Amino acid sequence: MQSALESFHEAYASGLAQPVAAFLSPIAPINASNRLYDFARASSDDKIEGDVRYALKYNKTTRMTNKECGAWVDIIVCYWRAVKEIIKADKAADQSRTGDRQYLAIYDAWKDLTSSFIKHISGGLLPAWAIFTLYFTANHLRKIAIKTDEQLAKSKPAVLNTGYSDDIASTTPQNQKLEEAARVFNRIFALCLGDRNQDMSESRKWGVYCIANLQFKTYFKLKAISLSKNVVRSIEAQPDLPSFELYPRAHRVTYRYYTGVLAFLQEDYAKAEQSLQGAWESCWSRSQQNKSLILTYLIPCRLITQHKVPTAGLLAEAPRLQRIFGPLVACIKRGDLTGFDKALADGEPEFVRRRIFLTLERSRDIALRNLLRKVYLAGGFDDLKEGQTEKDRIRKSRIPLAHFVAALRMGISGAGSGQALEDEEVECLLANQIYKGLMKGYISREHAMVVLNKKGAFPGTGV
Amino acid sequence: MAGPAQGSNDAKKAAVNESKNGEQPLAPEKKPAAQLEEDDEFEDFPVEDWTEEETQIPSGNTHLWEESWDDDDTNEDFAVQLREELKKLGK
Repeated sequence: MQSALESFHEAYASGLAQPVAAFLSPIAPINASNRLYDFARASSDDKIEGDVRYALKYNKTTRMTNKECGAWVDIIVCYWRAVKEIIKADKAADQSRTGDRQYLAIYDAWKDLTSSFIKHISGGLLPAWAIFTLYFTANHLRKIAIKTDEQLAKSKPAVLNTGYSDDIASTTPQNQKLEEAARVFNRIFALCLGDRNQDMSESRKWGVYCIANLQFKTYFKLKAISLSKNVVRSIEAQPDLPSFELYPRAHRVTYRYYTGVLAFLQEDYAKAEQSLQGAWESCWSRSQQNKSLILTYLIPCRLITQHKVPTAGLLAEAPRLQRIFGPLVACIKRGDLTGFDKALADGEPEFVRRRIFLTLERSRDIALRNLLRKVYLAGGFDDLKEGQTEKDRIRKSRIPLAHFVAALRMGISGAGSGQALEDEEVECLLANQIYKGLMKGYISREHAMVVLNKKGAFPGTGV
Repeated sequence: MAGPAQGSNDAKKAAVNESKNGEQPLAPEKKPAAQLEEDDEFEDFPVEDWTEEETQIPSGNTHLWEESWDDDDTNEDFAVQLREELKKLGK
């Protein structure tokens, strides 16, 4: 056991959370694939506690109080038990007979490890950095819980479901373990947020955002997104947190992403844009997956708030973005409504799954605005009057309704859909554009004319 | 009577085979769609913190966004088309 704990002593001596978390990992490092096996073999069920205690107590490099030593003994013993279950499952997998039992045993052991960590941190026995080691341990618990639930769902395909009424979607038995884990994360979150230690350098408040992110990921996976709002509310109500900018970027970017998506889903696009833009700017440039996820929400957001579209360069950031947004953006720019409708319908399953369908649907207004704007530009200029120069040229501001009708019909007939478009329908579309402030002017029904504002008929578009 | 019926059956079979062959090249494209479920989650960053040079900012945020309309898109063509269309309507 002495030699098996050598790497723990080294990690502990670093005074950093990550090396200790790496020691307490459920996955063997690539360069030492036997580490878990060796660790499990280094002791046995009845000797493990004594072995670990002896190894920690009589080690010369690591100095810790008796109480702290006791806490680590507890944690390492829990970890050893979890590793033992992992090895058991591994062996079962070799004989291809892994079942629920192995998964559940790993989950339970890992949950014990997490609980033991929580107990000793809240008892104040561990150094301040241990809260981040706990974060890594809890993140493993999340992943193990997801795997266990998947396994349980595979072997018991939703037969248990009949007892529940249909409307309680979030309590389907498939997510039993992840829901349980969510409650553990709640306790950790409270442990961080409620730390009364006045010395900020030792405060668990530094763990608030990374644990919050863990909760967001869990709630999104559980499709219980609205629970995330409680987390945000607790954080916003906490007056004495260190300044947000002082937290590591990994915590900040993830937190901003999730709060951005939350605001997006509540259709608070201004707030969503601010959070997502912040996440985008600080995101690690090599993290392709996260960058494209941020943009997946920032792009529809900006279409609504600023009527702006991503450039080809930005879409090229990820092939996925080009596939999702490329056709839609092209149609918006062309003012091609039929193409827009088709692109929206083609992408619908994916848009719905990513929860951006309704927002994208709203950007049809921008495509329509661009088409109407084209009609206006095609109308040309009024003739110059006496004494006027080229500079004073004014675009024709009175446009027959028929022109707009014709333009709209062009798109539709081009598609050969045989759809009829009534004049009144076009009037209605125009009235809506005026109401939404996308177009300035009024409709003169008497003359079947649209009279546009001479100064800025289409606000923000240069004409 | 059996002759033509046989013939049309063969033709159907051939058609089925052909459509199957036609579909085959599409099969690999279906795979990424199935994988999409996997990539929905915001990944854990492999590092806790990084410098400003390693963020998006140095690459510059210019040219990432543009206006939603495209005036280079041959306005003249559209004007001509529109006029044609108005003529057709006899207005």
